[in-house]
Amino acid sequence: MHHGMYSPRKMGVDPTLTLRKKVALAVVIWAAILIPSVHALPLTLSAPTSVNTTDNSCYVDGLSERMNCGSISVPEDHDRPEGKQIQIHYVVMPAIKSSGKSEALLAIAGGPGQSAIENAQGFDQMLTKVRQSHDVILIDQRGTGQSNPLQCVADGFESPLAINESDFDTRVETQKCLDELDADVSQYDSLSALRDFEAVRQHLGYQKLHLYGVSYGTRMAQLYMRDYPEHVATVTLDGVVPMQQSVLAIGDAIARAFDLVIQDCSNNTLCHNQFPELAAELAQVDTELAQAAKISTIADPTTGEATQLTMTRSKFKGSLRMALYSPSVRALIPHAIHQASQGNFQPITGLYAMSMDGAGIAMGMHASVVCAEDWPRLTPQLRASTAKNYFGREMLKTFEQSCAVWNMPAVDASFSQAIASDIPTLLLSGELDPATPPSWGEMAMEKLTNAKHFVAPYATHGVAYQSCGNNLIAELIEKGAVSDIDGECLNKDIRRNFYLNASTVEAIPSDTEQTAQSEESSLSQETALSPKKALNQ
Amino acid sequence: MSNKTITMIRKELIDAARDKRSVMAGLYYAVGAPLLMCGMFFMLIGQLTSPEDLNININNPQGAPDLVKYLSSKGITHGKNEDQVEGEKVDTKDILLIISDDYASNMAKGISAEVTLVADASNEKLQKSIRRLEKRLQQYSAEMGSLRLIARGIDPRVMQPIKLNVEDQATPDSKAGMILGIATMTMIYAVFISGMNLAIDTSAGERERNSLALLLSHPVSTSQIVISKIVAVTLFGMIGLLLTLIVSKFAYSFVPWQELGFSVSVNSRFIGMMMLIGLPVAIMAACLQLFVSFLAKSFKEAQSYLTIVLMLPMMLAMAASYDIAPETLQWLPVSGQLQALIEFIKGRELPGMQLAISSLITLAISAALAFGMQKSLKSEKIVFGL
Repeated sequence: MHHGMYSPRKMGVDPTLTLRKKVALAVVIWAAILIPSVHALPLTLSAPTSVNTTDNSCYVDGLSERMNCGSISVPEDHDRPEGKQIQIHYVVMPAIKSSGKSEALLAIAGGPGQSAIENAQGFDQMLTKVRQSHDVILIDQRGTGQSNPLQCVADGFESPLAINESDFDTRVETQKCLDELDADVSQYDSLSALRDFEAVRQHLGYQKLHLYGVSYGTRMAQLYMRDYPEHVATVTLDGVVPMQQSVLAIGDAIARAFDLVIQDCSNNTLCHNQFPELAAELAQVDTELAQAAKISTIADPTTGEATQLTMTRSKFKGSLRMALYSPSVRALIPHAIHQASQGNFQPITGLYAMSMDGAGIAMGMHASVVCAEDWPRLTPQLRASTAKNYFGREMLKTFEQSCAVWNMPAVDASFSQAIASDIPTLLLSGELDPATPPSWGEMAMEKLTNAKHFVAPYATHGVAYQSCGNNLIAELIEKGAVSDIDGECLNKDIRRNFYLNASTVEAIPSDTEQTAQSEESSLSQETALSPKKALNQ
Repeated sequence: MSNKTITMIRKELIDAARDKRSVMAGLYYAVGAPLLMCGMFFMLIGQLTSPEDLNININNPQGAPDLVKYLSSKGITHGKNEDQVEGEKVDTKDILLIISDDYASNMAKGISAEVTLVADASNEKLQKSIRRLEKRLQQYSAEMGSLRLIARGIDPRVMQPIKLNVEDQATPDSKAGMILGIATMTMIYAVFISGMNLAIDTSAGERERNSLALLLSHPVSTSQIVISKIVAVTLFGMIGLLLTLIVSKFAYSFVPWQELGFSVSVNSRFIGMMMLIGLPVAIMAACLQLFVSFLAKSFKEAQSYLTIVLMLPMMLAMAASYDIAPETLQWLPVSGQLQALIEFIKGRELPGMQLAISSLITLAISAALAFGMQKSLKSEKIVFGL
């Protein structure tokens, strides 16, 4: 089997295999604001061939088609053009039937810290219709992918499975990472990267760009709208991070998504019958693990060898949180919680294994962005509300320490102002999104005079990957206006059943009598659950 | 070229322009052929692509509601969908999916649940739809398989011992393959069709009107007469080719090639290349047609001979465009040029050597035919059609 094996999992997981002794820092810092662009597919660390030469045909991982790769040289510090130069790599996925070279779509990845080029396959699948007539540009933002990546790898830990996160000294590890990086980390913020993007546009010779930003990428897209409106044709913001919002408030969105999955299960007859005490079970495991981690010997998820598992609260909740990003993996959550409450951490271990590499996030670049643009905006008020839930507290703790080490200059206060623009803009939010809730999309609309915001009731993070949202983008680009776009197709019920045991999503028949019964109940579930009811409670 | 030859050419062209039938015959092909091809491609694309909403028949859909829902979210629905208005005609494809009775119980036990796909795989129109359904079922199965492993604490990546990277060297243009071949074939065929009527008219026709003998009585050599006729017919052929190319340029841009995943574009570079490569072919076409027409006793006879003779370049062109040609064909006229053109349109390097040789052979054949004609015009048998 090829990629199809995992591609439907749509989890923001990018299995760049980390060496056993090295632990991607992101694993340990569960609280980090991972906003991965969903649908990342299994990738290896191998760089696309011949990407070091400028402007050449090349292949990117997961796509058999020939692409145009290249890189441009930009100053690390844009204010000192004579200083150190870094290479910004890009890939152009050529249009199948080009409608002239003046316009292209720039797809911006999330994170902050994900590589756009490593996610080429996902972008290609999602943007199939756009690519029929437009080139698609992917740029590895400075500090990610191949553009001078700021990776942090923590040494000296036995295994990501055995580690107890509370033993982890964020300050020391962050300092170690900073010392090892050959870069002026203060230059890896969004605004510096924006100037790189514009330089790539000029280099490639496109007059105007259609922008697609997902997750953190929406911040870059909004900055592009603000600073270079004359070169922007249309904008799609998918999983919106409004300028007014510090991403540190993500804790609320996570808590909301947890509530929604439990509610969805209790509204679903099959799931409710199978797991009637889900909320209580989640609370119970959470409390137990908060008191003490559970140490056991398990078969390693990958090697199968006996290995130690230290099941901590961080691993438990972090794995579930990552599962919330993907509609298909989300279906496993009730089963995983129930099994954990019975003392079986296998499903949690499986979920954890999929996110062990930190979702392909360059943690150094992640820290540069968050510490410059989000940490300084933390008002006492926001701090208090953030500290109300588990993820919020962990995040505050982590960035308190890492931002002190990273020592980024705070962005200008004007950074937080809502974008005022009349560029045709399409905003997409997923009702079930565990990172950027629909209310954030609403907030970004404040001063957009030519924009439409659609909420997809069954989508999580990255609506265009999970619904007809990608067709809406193609429509926007074709028409160049939002007025005619109708988001009705987003309401199509694409929800899948929850896993009722480790094997099935269909009603479990135990004997003939019960078969009839469960069929009946599955039918009643279909009718009783009007699409929006489950979510709007 | 002597003044006499130029005067002769002018005479031939004036004669040709007066003959509306010859002019129109060339025009009909130049305009009609690309349009007909476009119409054909439109239909072909419609048949090759799977419809956005694929309606199939599902037996026992209540046995696997989640699977049915998954398929429906991918645009594959059971024929009798509740959403559709009653009485509205639904185009249901002849594909049947049977969900076994023990699907749910097998699934719950973690063993393979059976689903049967019934369809006629030889039906060209269904192939794309069948493959789409198979792909979706495999994806569903793979997704569940991965999640089953996760639920058992195993990293699903262990199920992928080999990661296959494919690097396809095709370009969007080269993927068009056979379609391009057929399109190029109809274009190059224009040089044969456009000049055909003129060739008959200026040889067999001229003889029938008794003006050929008159022409020969003037103080011009037979070679001057032959050259002027060849030039006139060649010119007509080339005008026909240019018209075909211009019409194709516009017509082909309307065909939604991208739905098949490639593009076909007739740009000015291609037009230039085609005109250049087509010239020897047009000369040969003129010589061949004139030669055959002179051999015929009457206008009618020339027409029937030519129809048969034109099969030959047609066969050569077909062999080249369908890529079934043996090696030797690349050195021959028409097929050699056509293969070079197809390589060019696919963005590959132009096979210079091969093109040069086939063009030289083409010109040599033309010269031989012209020489033959010149000789034959000295024979009374030919001049008076005896």
